[in-house]
Amino acid sequence: MIRWSLVRLAVYGIPTLLILCPMGLFLLSSFWSMSGNKMSHSWTLANYRAFFANASYWGIYLQTIKLAGIVALFGLVSGYIVAYLIWRQRGPLRYMLLLFSVIPLAMNYIVKIYAMRGILGFNGVLNSALVWSGLLAKPSTMFVFNQTAVLIAMAVIYLPFAILPIFLSLERIPHSLVEASADLGAPPGQTFRRVVLPLSLPGSVVGGLFVMVLSLGDFLTPQMVGGSQGFTFGRAIWSQFGMAFNWPFGAALAVMLLLAIAIILIAARLLTRYRRTS
Amino acid sequence: MTRSERITIAVLWVFASFVFVLLYGPAVLVATLSFFDMDRGQIAWGSFSLAHYASLLENKSILAALGNTLMVAFTSVAIATILALGLAYYMRTGERRGRAYVEFIIFLPFVLPAIITGISLLVAFREVGVDRGLTTIAIGHIVVVIAIIYRMVMVRLEALETSQLEASADLGATQFQTFRLVVVPQLASAMVTGALLAFTISFDETLVTFFLAGSDPTLPLRLWAMMRVGFSPEINALVTIVLLGTMVLATLGALSLRRGIAKERA
Repeated sequence: MIRWSLVRLAVYGIPTLLILCPMGLFLLSSFWSMSGNKMSHSWTLANYRAFFANASYWGIYLQTIKLAGIVALFGLVSGYIVAYLIWRQRGPLRYMLLLFSVIPLAMNYIVKIYAMRGILGFNGVLNSALVWSGLLAKPSTMFVFNQTAVLIAMAVIYLPFAILPIFLSLERIPHSLVEASADLGAPPGQTFRRVVLPLSLPGSVVGGLFVMVLSLGDFLTPQMVGGSQGFTFGRAIWSQFGMAFNWPFGAALAVMLLLAIAIILIAARLLTRYRRTS
Repeated sequence: MTRSERITIAVLWVFASFVFVLLYGPAVLVATLSFFDMDRGQIAWGSFSLAHYASLLENKSILAALGNTLMVAFTSVAIATILALGLAYYMRTGERRGRAYVEFIIFLPFVLPAIITGISLLVAFREVGVDRGLTTIAIGHIVVVIAIIYRMVMVRLEALETSQLEASADLGATQFQTFRLVVVPQLASAMVTGALLAFTISFDETLVTFFLAGSDPTLPLRLWAMMRVGFSPEINALVTIVLLGTMVLATLGALSLRRGIAKERA
Protein backbone atom coordinates (compact mmCIF):
# COMPACT_ATOMS: atom_id res chain seq x y z
CA MET A 1 0.00 0.00 0.00
CA ILE A 2 2.82 2.37 0.94
CA ARG A 3 4.60 1.40 -2.28
CA TRP A 4 1.57 2.37 -4.35
CA SER A 5 1.18 5.73 -2.72
CA LEU A 6 4.88 6.34 -3.41
CA VAL A 7 4.30 5.50 -7.07
CA ARG A 8 1.34 7.84 -7.17
CA LEU A 9 3.39 10.58 -5.53
CA ALA A 10 6.08 10.19 -8.20
CA VAL A 11 3.61 10.07 -11.10
CA TYR A 12 1.85 13.26 -10.09
CA GLY A 13 4.71 14.90 -8.22
CA ILE A 14 7.48 14.84 -10.82
CA PRO A 15 5.57 16.60 -13.63
CA THR A 16 4.15 19.08 -11.13
CA LEU A 17 7.57 19.83 -9.68
CA LEU A 18 9.39 20.00 -13.01
CA ILE A 19 6.85 21.93 -15.04
CA LEU A 20 3.88 23.33 -13.13
CA CYS A 21 5.78 24.77 -10.13
CA PRO A 22 8.32 26.67 -12.29
CA MET A 23 5.49 28.09 -14.40
CA GLY A 24 3.63 29.12 -11.26
CA LEU A 25 6.76 30.83 -9.92
CA PHE A 26 7.19 32.58 -13.26
CA LEU A 27 3.64 33.97 -13.02
CA LEU A 28 4.25 35.04 -9.42
CA SER A 29 7.56 36.68 -10.26
CA SER A 30 5.83 39.04 -12.66
CA PHE A 31 4.34 40.68 -9.54
CA TRP A 32 7.71 41.03 -7.83
CA SER A 33 10.27 43.78 -8.19
CA MET A 34 14.01 44.17 -8.40
CA SER A 35 15.97 45.49 -5.45
CA GLY A 36 19.65 45.72 -6.24
CA ASN A 37 20.47 42.56 -8.13
CA LYS A 38 17.97 40.38 -6.25
CA MET A 39 14.27 39.79 -6.77
CA SER A 40 12.25 41.06 -3.82
CA HIS A 41 9.09 39.11 -3.07
CA SER A 42 6.85 42.04 -2.20
CA TRP A 43 3.74 42.29 -4.35
CA THR A 44 3.37 45.05 -6.88
CA LEU A 45 1.55 45.77 -10.10
CA ALA A 46 4.29 48.17 -11.19
CA ASN A 47 5.56 45.86 -13.96
CA TYR A 48 2.17 45.68 -15.64
CA ARG A 49 1.62 49.38 -15.11
CA ALA A 50 4.94 50.07 -16.81
CA PHE A 51 3.89 47.95 -19.77
CA PHE A 52 0.50 49.59 -20.22
CA ALA A 53 1.87 53.11 -19.64
CA ASN A 54 4.63 52.83 -22.23
CA ALA A 55 3.31 53.23 -25.75
CA SER A 56 6.49 51.87 -27.32
CA TYR A 57 6.04 48.49 -25.58
CA TRP A 58 2.43 48.43 -26.75
CA GLY A 59 3.54 49.24 -30.26
CA ILE A 60 6.11 46.45 -30.35
CA TYR A 61 3.57 44.04 -28.83
CA LEU A 62 0.99 44.67 -31.55
CA GLN A 63 3.61 44.82 -34.28
CA THR A 64 5.01 41.43 -33.24
CA ILE A 65 1.55 39.84 -33.21
CA LYS A 66 1.01 41.20 -36.71
CA LEU A 67 4.42 39.92 -37.83
CA ALA A 68 3.72 36.45 -36.42
CA GLY A 69 0.29 36.52 -38.09
CA ILE A 70 1.82 37.18 -41.51
CA VAL A 71 4.45 34.47 -40.96
CA ALA A 72 1.64 32.06 -40.01
CA LEU A 73 -0.42 33.00 -43.05
CA PHE A 74 2.53 32.39 -45.34
CA GLY A 75 3.13 29.04 -43.61
CA LEU A 76 -0.54 28.11 -43.95
CA VAL A 77 -0.85 28.90 -47.66
CA SER A 78 2.46 27.54 -48.89
CA GLY A 79 2.35 24.66 -46.41
CA TYR A 80 -1.11 23.74 -47.69
CA ILE A 81 0.01 23.73 -51.30
CA VAL A 82 2.99 21.48 -50.58
CA ALA A 83 1.03 19.17 -48.27
CA TYR A 84 -1.82 18.88 -50.80
CA LEU A 85 0.51 17.92 -53.61
CA ILE A 86 2.21 15.30 -51.43
CA TRP A 87 -1.18 13.99 -50.30
CA ARG A 88 -2.24 13.46 -53.95
CA GLN A 89 0.78 11.26 -54.63
CA ARG A 90 0.72 7.49 -54.25
CA GLY A 91 3.61 5.10 -53.76
CA PRO A 92 7.23 5.75 -52.80
CA LEU A 93 7.28 9.32 -54.15
CA ARG A 94 4.73 10.29 -51.52
CA TYR A 95 6.83 9.01 -48.66
CA MET A 96 10.00 10.56 -50.06
CA LEU A 97 8.47 14.00 -50.51
CA LEU A 98 7.04 13.82 -47.02
CA LEU A 99 10.46 12.93 -45.62
CA PHE A 100 12.04 15.81 -47.53
CA SER A 101 9.57 18.27 -46.09
CA VAL A 102 10.11 16.98 -42.55
CA ILE A 103 13.94 16.86 -42.58
CA PRO A 104 14.26 20.68 -42.41
CA LEU A 105 12.58 20.42 -38.99
CA ALA A 106 15.74 18.75 -37.77
CA MET A 107 18.09 21.30 -39.28
CA ASN A 108 19.70 23.25 -36.52
CA TYR A 109 17.82 26.44 -35.78
CA ILE A 110 20.93 28.58 -35.26
CA VAL A 111 22.32 27.28 -38.54
CA LYS A 112 19.18 28.37 -40.35
CA ILE A 113 19.37 31.86 -38.88
CA TYR A 114 23.01 32.03 -39.89
CA ALA A 115 22.24 30.98 -43.45
CA MET A 116 19.34 33.44 -43.69
CA ARG A 117 21.63 36.25 -42.62
CA GLY A 118 24.04 35.32 -45.40
CA ILE A 119 21.16 35.43 -47.86
CA LEU A 120 19.51 38.65 -46.68
CA GLY A 121 22.54 40.91 -46.10
CA PHE A 122 23.38 44.01 -48.15
CA ASN A 123 26.05 42.00 -49.96
CA GLY A 124 24.02 38.83 -49.50
CA VAL A 125 22.95 36.19 -51.97
CA LEU A 126 19.46 37.64 -52.55
CA ASN A 127 20.80 41.10 -53.40
CA SER A 128 23.53 39.67 -55.63
CA ALA A 129 20.97 37.54 -57.45
CA LEU A 130 18.61 40.48 -57.96
CA VAL A 131 21.38 42.70 -59.30
CA TRP A 132 22.82 39.93 -61.47
CA SER A 133 19.42 39.17 -63.01
CA GLY A 134 18.92 42.85 -63.80
CA LEU A 135 15.85 43.28 -61.58
CA LEU A 136 17.73 45.81 -59.48
CA ALA A 137 20.32 48.35 -60.58
CA LYS A 138 22.12 48.29 -57.24
CA PRO A 139 21.74 46.29 -53.98
CA SER A 140 18.55 47.17 -52.12
CA THR A 141 18.30 47.91 -48.39
CA MET A 142 14.65 46.81 -48.31
CA PHE A 143 15.39 43.55 -46.51
CA VAL A 144 18.56 44.42 -44.62
CA PHE A 145 18.34 44.62 -40.83
CA ASN A 146 14.66 45.55 -40.56
CA GLN A 147 11.21 44.07 -39.95
CA THR A 148 11.03 42.71 -43.50
CA ALA A 149 14.26 40.79 -42.97
CA VAL A 150 12.83 39.30 -39.77
CA LEU A 151 9.60 38.44 -41.59
CA ILE A 152 11.37 36.66 -44.46
CA ALA A 153 13.76 34.78 -42.17
CA MET A 154 10.97 33.61 -39.84
CA ALA A 155 8.73 32.63 -42.74
CA VAL A 156 11.46 30.37 -44.14
CA ILE A 157 12.54 28.97 -40.77
CA TYR A 158 9.04 28.12 -39.51
CA LEU A 159 7.50 26.98 -42.81
CA PRO A 160 8.30 23.26 -42.30
CA PHE A 161 6.37 23.29 -39.02
CA ALA A 162 3.17 23.95 -40.98
CA ILE A 163 3.54 21.25 -43.65
CA LEU A 164 3.31 18.21 -41.36
CA PRO A 165 0.12 19.15 -39.42
CA ILE A 166 -1.59 20.16 -42.67
CA PHE A 167 -0.63 16.87 -44.29
CA LEU A 168 -1.98 14.97 -41.26
CA SER A 169 -5.31 16.81 -41.44
CA LEU A 170 -5.58 15.91 -45.15
CA GLU A 171 -4.69 12.33 -44.27
CA ARG A 172 -7.65 12.18 -41.86
CA ILE A 173 -10.17 12.63 -44.68
CA PRO A 174 -11.68 9.22 -45.42
CA HIS A 175 -10.78 8.21 -48.94
CA SER A 176 -14.31 6.96 -49.51
CA LEU A 177 -15.60 10.53 -49.31
CA VAL A 178 -13.36 11.65 -52.15
CA GLU A 179 -14.37 8.60 -54.20
CA ALA A 180 -18.06 9.15 -53.49
CA SER A 181 -17.77 12.73 -54.69
CA ALA A 182 -16.12 11.55 -57.91
CA ASP A 183 -18.73 8.80 -58.38
CA LEU A 184 -21.49 11.37 -58.09
CA GLY A 185 -19.95 13.21 -60.99
CA ALA A 186 -17.97 16.02 -59.38
CA PRO A 187 -14.87 17.00 -61.32
CA PRO A 188 -11.62 17.02 -59.26
CA GLY A 189 -11.75 20.80 -58.85
CA GLN A 190 -15.23 20.64 -57.37
CA THR A 191 -14.33 17.71 -55.11
CA PHE A 192 -11.44 19.79 -53.80
CA ARG A 193 -13.56 22.88 -53.15
CA ARG A 194 -16.60 21.11 -51.65
CA VAL A 195 -15.04 18.11 -49.87
CA VAL A 196 -11.27 18.24 -49.35
CA LEU A 197 -10.80 21.92 -48.49
CA PRO A 198 -13.65 22.26 -45.95
CA LEU A 199 -12.64 19.04 -44.18
CA SER A 200 -8.94 19.85 -43.97
CA LEU A 201 -9.14 23.58 -43.31
CA PRO A 202 -9.69 23.56 -39.51
CA GLY A 203 -6.72 21.23 -38.93
CA SER A 204 -4.60 23.26 -41.32
CA VAL A 205 -5.42 26.51 -39.57
CA VAL A 206 -4.31 24.86 -36.32
CA GLY A 207 -0.98 24.14 -38.05
CA GLY A 208 -0.77 27.81 -39.02
CA LEU A 209 -1.52 28.89 -35.45
CA PHE A 210 1.28 26.62 -34.25
CA VAL A 211 3.66 28.54 -36.53
CA MET A 212 2.29 31.79 -35.10
CA VAL A 213 3.04 30.69 -31.53
CA LEU A 214 6.59 29.71 -32.51
CA SER A 215 7.33 33.01 -34.20
CA LEU A 216 5.75 35.03 -31.37
CA GLY A 217 8.22 33.60 -28.87
CA ASP A 218 11.32 33.77 -31.06
CA PHE A 219 14.01 36.14 -29.83
CA LEU A 220 17.15 35.00 -31.67
CA THR A 221 16.05 35.34 -35.31
CA PRO A 222 15.12 39.03 -34.92
CA GLN A 223 18.34 39.60 -32.99
CA MET A 224 20.43 38.16 -35.79
CA VAL A 225 18.75 39.52 -38.93
CA GLY A 226 16.68 42.40 -37.51
CA GLY A 227 19.31 44.89 -36.40
CA SER A 228 17.96 47.91 -34.56
CA GLN A 229 14.96 48.30 -36.91
CA GLY A 230 13.73 44.75 -36.46
CA PHE A 231 12.95 44.89 -32.75
CA THR A 232 10.31 42.40 -31.62
CA PHE A 233 8.50 41.61 -28.39
CA GLY A 234 10.56 38.45 -27.89
CA ARG A 235 13.71 40.55 -27.96
CA ALA A 236 12.17 42.99 -25.48
CA ILE A 237 11.57 40.11 -23.05
CA TRP A 238 15.02 38.62 -23.62
CA SER A 239 16.74 41.94 -22.99
CA GLN A 240 15.20 42.08 -19.50
CA PHE A 241 16.99 38.83 -18.68
CA GLY A 242 20.27 40.00 -20.17
CA MET A 243 21.47 43.57 -20.39
CA ALA A 244 18.55 45.32 -18.69
CA PHE A 245 18.49 42.74 -15.88
CA ASN A 246 14.97 43.26 -14.64
CA TRP A 247 13.55 39.74 -14.34
CA PRO A 248 10.16 40.63 -12.84
CA PHE A 249 9.49 43.15 -15.64
CA GLY A 250 10.65 40.58 -18.20
CA ALA A 251 8.29 38.04 -16.62
CA ALA A 252 5.40 40.52 -16.85
CA LEU A 253 6.14 41.06 -20.54
CA ALA A 254 6.24 37.28 -21.01
CA VAL A 255 2.85 37.00 -19.29
CA MET A 256 1.47 39.46 -21.85
CA LEU A 257 2.91 37.21 -24.58
CA LEU A 258 1.32 34.21 -22.88
CA LEU A 259 -2.01 36.01 -22.91
CA ALA A 260 -1.84 36.48 -26.69
CA ILE A 261 -0.88 32.81 -27.08
CA ALA A 262 -3.69 31.65 -24.79
CA ILE A 263 -6.18 33.43 -27.05
CA ILE A 264 -4.61 31.78 -30.11
CA LEU A 265 -4.70 28.32 -28.50
CA ILE A 266 -8.32 28.71 -27.42
CA ALA A 267 -9.16 29.65 -31.01
CA ALA A 268 -7.34 26.50 -32.16
CA ARG A 269 -9.27 24.43 -29.61
CA LEU A 270 -12.60 25.81 -30.83
CA LEU A 271 -11.62 25.05 -34.41
CA THR A 272 -10.81 21.40 -33.69
CA ARG A 273 -14.06 21.01 -31.77
CA TYR A 274 -15.94 22.51 -34.71
CA ARG A 275 -14.28 19.95 -36.94
CA ARG A 276 -15.39 17.06 -34.74
CA THR A 277 -19.01 18.10 -34.45
CA SER A 278 -19.63 19.14 -38.01
CA MET B 1 -8.68 16.02 -65.55
CA THR B 2 -9.57 19.07 -67.55
CA ARG B 3 -7.01 21.34 -69.11
CA SER B 4 -7.45 24.13 -66.56
CA GLU B 5 -7.04 21.68 -63.70
CA ARG B 6 -3.86 20.31 -65.20
CA ILE B 7 -2.52 23.84 -65.53
CA THR B 8 -3.45 24.62 -61.93
CA ILE B 9 -1.62 21.53 -60.66
CA ALA B 10 1.43 22.43 -62.74
CA VAL B 11 1.48 25.95 -61.31
CA LEU B 12 1.18 24.49 -57.80
CA TRP B 13 4.15 22.23 -58.48
CA VAL B 14 6.23 25.19 -59.60
CA PHE B 15 5.34 26.95 -56.35
CA ALA B 16 6.11 23.82 -54.31
CA SER B 17 9.53 23.54 -55.96
CA PHE B 18 10.16 27.14 -54.92
CA VAL B 19 9.21 26.19 -51.34
CA PHE B 20 11.68 23.30 -51.40
CA VAL B 21 14.38 25.66 -52.66
CA LEU B 22 13.57 27.91 -49.70
CA LEU B 23 13.81 24.96 -47.31
CA TYR B 24 17.08 23.56 -48.58
CA GLY B 25 18.76 26.57 -50.20
CA PRO B 26 20.22 28.01 -47.00
CA ALA B 27 21.73 24.68 -45.96
CA VAL B 28 23.17 23.96 -49.41
CA LEU B 29 24.67 27.44 -49.55
CA VAL B 30 26.44 27.08 -46.21
CA ALA B 31 27.70 23.61 -47.08
CA THR B 32 29.13 24.86 -50.37
CA LEU B 33 30.89 27.78 -48.74
CA SER B 34 32.56 25.47 -46.23
CA PHE B 35 34.89 24.09 -48.92
CA PHE B 36 36.19 27.43 -50.20
CA ASP B 37 38.12 30.45 -49.00
CA MET B 38 36.55 33.88 -49.02
CA ASP B 39 38.38 36.68 -50.74
CA ARG B 40 37.00 40.17 -49.97
CA GLY B 41 33.41 38.92 -49.74
CA GLN B 42 33.70 36.82 -52.88
CA ILE B 43 34.07 33.07 -53.07
CA ALA B 44 37.50 32.04 -54.36
CA TRP B 45 36.36 29.12 -56.51
CA GLY B 46 39.91 27.87 -57.03
CA SER B 47 40.49 27.24 -53.36
CA PHE B 48 38.56 23.99 -52.84
CA SER B 49 39.89 22.19 -49.77
CA LEU B 50 38.96 20.48 -46.54
CA ALA B 51 41.24 22.80 -44.59
CA HIS B 52 38.39 24.37 -42.63
CA TYR B 53 37.27 20.96 -41.43
CA ALA B 54 40.80 20.11 -40.32
CA SER B 55 41.14 23.35 -38.36
CA LEU B 56 37.89 22.54 -36.52
CA LEU B 57 39.52 19.49 -34.97
CA GLU B 58 42.12 21.74 -33.35
CA ASN B 59 39.55 24.14 -31.96
CA LYS B 60 39.34 23.13 -28.28
CA SER B 61 36.32 25.27 -27.40
CA ILE B 62 34.21 23.75 -30.18
CA LEU B 63 35.12 20.21 -29.20
CA ALA B 64 34.31 21.00 -25.57
CA ALA B 65 30.93 22.44 -26.59
CA LEU B 66 30.21 19.33 -28.67
CA GLY B 67 31.07 17.17 -25.66
CA ASN B 68 28.70 19.20 -23.47
CA THR B 69 25.91 18.86 -26.01
CA LEU B 70 26.29 15.10 -26.28
CA MET B 71 26.44 14.66 -22.52
CA VAL B 72 23.31 16.76 -21.99
CA ALA B 73 21.48 14.96 -24.80
CA PHE B 74 22.32 11.45 -23.57
CA THR B 75 21.47 12.16 -19.94
CA SER B 76 18.28 14.06 -20.55
CA VAL B 77 16.96 11.62 -23.17
CA ALA B 78 17.73 8.62 -20.94
CA ILE B 79 15.97 10.14 -17.92
CA ALA B 80 13.07 11.48 -19.99
CA THR B 81 12.55 8.05 -21.61
CA ILE B 82 12.36 6.32 -18.24
CA LEU B 83 10.00 8.98 -16.86
CA ALA B 84 7.78 8.89 -19.95
CA LEU B 85 7.64 5.11 -19.91
CA GLY B 86 6.67 5.03 -16.23
CA LEU B 87 4.04 7.73 -16.66
CA ALA B 88 2.48 6.16 -19.74
CA TYR B 89 2.39 2.67 -18.21
CA TYR B 90 0.80 3.96 -15.01
CA MET B 91 -1.85 5.87 -16.95
CA ARG B 92 -2.64 2.90 -19.18
CA THR B 93 -3.09 0.30 -16.43
CA GLY B 94 -6.32 1.23 -14.73
CA GLU B 95 -8.69 4.18 -14.62
CA ARG B 96 -6.52 7.13 -13.64
CA ARG B 97 -8.44 10.22 -12.73
CA GLY B 98 -5.31 12.36 -12.96
CA ARG B 99 -4.44 11.38 -16.52
CA ALA B 100 -5.82 14.53 -18.13
CA TYR B 101 -3.98 16.64 -15.56
CA VAL B 102 -0.58 14.98 -16.12
CA GLU B 103 -0.94 15.04 -19.91
CA PHE B 104 -1.92 18.69 -19.81
CA ILE B 105 1.17 19.55 -17.77
CA ILE B 106 3.74 17.61 -19.77
CA PHE B 107 2.39 18.99 -23.05
CA LEU B 108 2.62 22.60 -21.83
CA PRO B 109 6.33 23.06 -22.72
CA PHE B 110 5.56 21.52 -26.09
CA VAL B 111 2.73 23.92 -26.90
CA LEU B 112 4.03 27.11 -25.31
CA PRO B 113 6.96 28.97 -26.86
CA ALA B 114 10.38 28.07 -25.51
CA ILE B 115 10.88 31.51 -24.03
CA ILE B 116 8.12 30.83 -21.45
CA THR B 117 9.61 27.45 -20.45
CA GLY B 118 13.06 29.00 -20.26
CA ILE B 119 12.03 31.90 -18.04
CA SER B 120 9.97 29.61 -15.77
CA LEU B 121 12.86 27.24 -15.12
CA LEU B 122 15.30 30.13 -14.74
CA VAL B 123 13.16 31.80 -12.07
CA ALA B 124 12.59 28.45 -10.32
CA PHE B 125 16.30 27.57 -10.23
CA ARG B 126 17.08 31.04 -8.92
CA GLU B 127 14.48 30.71 -6.16
CA VAL B 128 15.73 27.28 -5.11
CA GLY B 129 19.31 28.50 -5.28
CA VAL B 130 20.66 26.20 -8.00
CA ASP B 131 23.48 27.68 -10.06
CA ARG B 132 23.19 27.52 -13.83
CA GLY B 133 25.25 24.85 -15.56
CA LEU B 134 25.00 21.61 -17.52
CA THR B 135 22.65 20.10 -14.90
CA THR B 136 20.10 22.89 -15.28
CA ILE B 137 20.35 22.57 -19.08
CA ALA B 138 19.74 18.82 -18.82
CA ILE B 139 16.67 19.36 -16.61
CA GLY B 140 15.38 21.89 -19.14
CA HIS B 141 15.82 19.38 -21.94
CA ILE B 142 13.97 16.68 -19.98
CA VAL B 143 11.04 19.08 -19.64
CA VAL B 144 11.15 19.88 -23.37
CA VAL B 145 11.35 16.32 -24.74
CA ILE B 146 9.29 14.27 -22.27
CA ALA B 147 6.00 14.95 -24.08
CA ILE B 148 7.19 13.55 -27.41
CA ILE B 149 8.47 10.29 -25.89
CA TYR B 150 5.31 9.96 -23.79
CA ARG B 151 3.17 10.37 -26.89
CA MET B 152 5.14 7.74 -28.85
CA VAL B 153 4.98 5.21 -26.00
CA MET B 154 1.30 5.94 -25.28
CA VAL B 155 0.19 5.39 -28.88
CA ARG B 156 1.86 1.97 -28.79
CA LEU B 157 0.45 1.15 -25.34
CA GLU B 158 -3.10 1.99 -26.43
CA ALA B 159 -2.76 -0.48 -29.29
CA LEU B 160 -1.73 -3.15 -26.79
CA GLU B 161 -4.68 -5.29 -25.80
CA THR B 162 -5.60 -5.38 -22.12
CA SER B 163 -6.26 -9.11 -22.45
CA GLN B 164 -2.51 -9.67 -22.78
CA LEU B 165 -1.95 -8.11 -19.38
CA GLU B 166 -4.84 -10.10 -17.90
CA ALA B 167 -3.55 -13.34 -19.39
CA SER B 168 -0.13 -12.68 -17.96
CA ALA B 169 -1.63 -12.03 -14.52
CA ASP B 170 -3.81 -15.17 -14.76
CA LEU B 171 -0.74 -17.23 -15.49
CA GLY B 172 0.77 -16.04 -12.23
CA ALA B 173 3.13 -13.29 -13.33
CA THR B 174 3.70 -10.45 -10.89
CA GLN B 175 2.98 -6.92 -12.08
CA PHE B 176 6.67 -6.28 -12.59
CA GLN B 177 7.12 -9.51 -14.55
CA THR B 178 4.21 -8.60 -16.82
CA PHE B 179 5.77 -5.21 -17.38
CA ARG B 180 9.24 -6.59 -18.11
CA LEU B 181 8.30 -9.66 -20.16
CA VAL B 182 5.09 -8.62 -21.93
CA VAL B 183 4.98 -4.85 -22.18
CA VAL B 184 8.58 -3.64 -22.60
CA PRO B 185 9.46 -5.91 -25.57
CA GLN B 186 6.47 -4.57 -27.48
CA LEU B 187 7.33 -0.99 -26.61
CA ALA B 188 10.95 -1.19 -27.68
CA SER B 189 10.49 0.25 -31.18
CA ALA B 190 8.29 3.10 -29.94
CA MET B 191 10.86 3.93 -27.27
CA VAL B 192 13.72 3.93 -29.78
CA THR B 193 11.78 6.21 -32.13
CA GLY B 194 10.82 8.56 -29.32
CA ALA B 195 14.36 8.63 -27.96
CA LEU B 196 15.83 9.37 -31.41
CA LEU B 197 13.44 12.26 -31.97
CA ALA B 198 14.11 13.53 -28.46
CA PHE B 199 17.86 13.30 -29.04
CA THR B 200 17.54 15.39 -32.21
CA ILE B 201 15.51 17.99 -30.34
CA SER B 202 17.93 18.11 -27.42
CA PHE B 203 20.93 18.35 -29.73
CA ASP B 204 19.45 21.44 -31.42
CA GLU B 205 17.68 23.00 -28.43
CA THR B 206 18.69 26.66 -28.20
CA LEU B 207 15.90 28.90 -26.94
CA VAL B 208 15.39 27.20 -23.56
CA THR B 209 19.09 26.43 -23.20
CA PHE B 210 19.94 30.13 -23.50
CA PHE B 211 18.17 30.84 -20.22
CA LEU B 212 19.67 27.89 -18.35
CA ALA B 213 23.33 27.86 -19.42
CA GLY B 214 26.14 28.79 -17.10
CA SER B 215 29.71 29.18 -18.27
CA ASP B 216 29.76 25.84 -20.18
CA PRO B 217 28.05 26.37 -23.55
CA THR B 218 26.41 23.70 -25.67
CA LEU B 219 27.19 23.56 -29.38
CA PRO B 220 24.29 25.80 -30.52
CA LEU B 221 25.27 28.44 -27.96
CA ARG B 222 28.91 28.24 -29.03
CA LEU B 223 27.80 28.59 -32.66
CA TRP B 224 25.73 31.62 -31.76
CA ALA B 225 28.70 33.25 -30.02
CA MET B 226 30.92 32.56 -33.05
CA MET B 227 28.33 33.92 -35.49
CA ARG B 228 27.99 37.20 -33.67
CA VAL B 229 31.63 37.91 -34.49
CA GLY B 230 31.01 37.33 -38.18
CA PHE B 231 31.24 34.85 -41.01
CA SER B 232 34.13 32.49 -41.39
CA PRO B 233 34.62 29.33 -43.44
CA GLU B 234 35.32 27.52 -40.18
CA ILE B 235 31.77 28.22 -38.97
CA ASN B 236 30.47 26.97 -42.31
CA ALA B 237 32.38 23.73 -41.86
CA LEU B 238 31.05 23.28 -38.34
CA VAL B 239 27.53 24.10 -39.46
CA THR B 240 27.75 21.56 -42.27
CA ILE B 241 28.80 18.80 -39.87
CA VAL B 242 25.99 19.70 -37.47
CA LEU B 243 23.47 19.71 -40.33
CA LEU B 244 24.61 16.33 -41.58
CA GLY B 245 24.56 14.86 -38.08
CA THR B 246 21.05 16.03 -37.20
CA MET B 247 19.67 15.08 -40.61
CA VAL B 248 21.03 11.55 -40.29
CA LEU B 249 19.46 11.32 -36.83
CA ALA B 250 16.13 12.61 -38.09
CA THR B 251 16.11 10.21 -41.03
CA LEU B 252 16.85 7.32 -38.68
CA GLY B 253 13.97 8.46 -36.49
CA ALA B 254 11.60 8.72 -39.45
CA LEU B 255 12.62 5.27 -40.74
CA SER B 256 12.15 3.69 -37.32
CA LEU B 257 8.76 5.40 -37.05
CA ARG B 258 7.77 3.96 -40.41
CA ARG B 259 8.93 0.48 -39.42
CA GLY B 260 6.83 0.78 -36.26
CA ILE B 261 3.75 1.73 -38.28
CA ALA B 262 4.34 -1.10 -40.75
CA LYS B 263 4.64 -3.57 -37.87
CA GLU B 264 1.42 -2.30 -36.34
CA ARG B 265 -0.45 -2.82 -39.59
CA ALA B 266 0.93 -6.31 -40.15
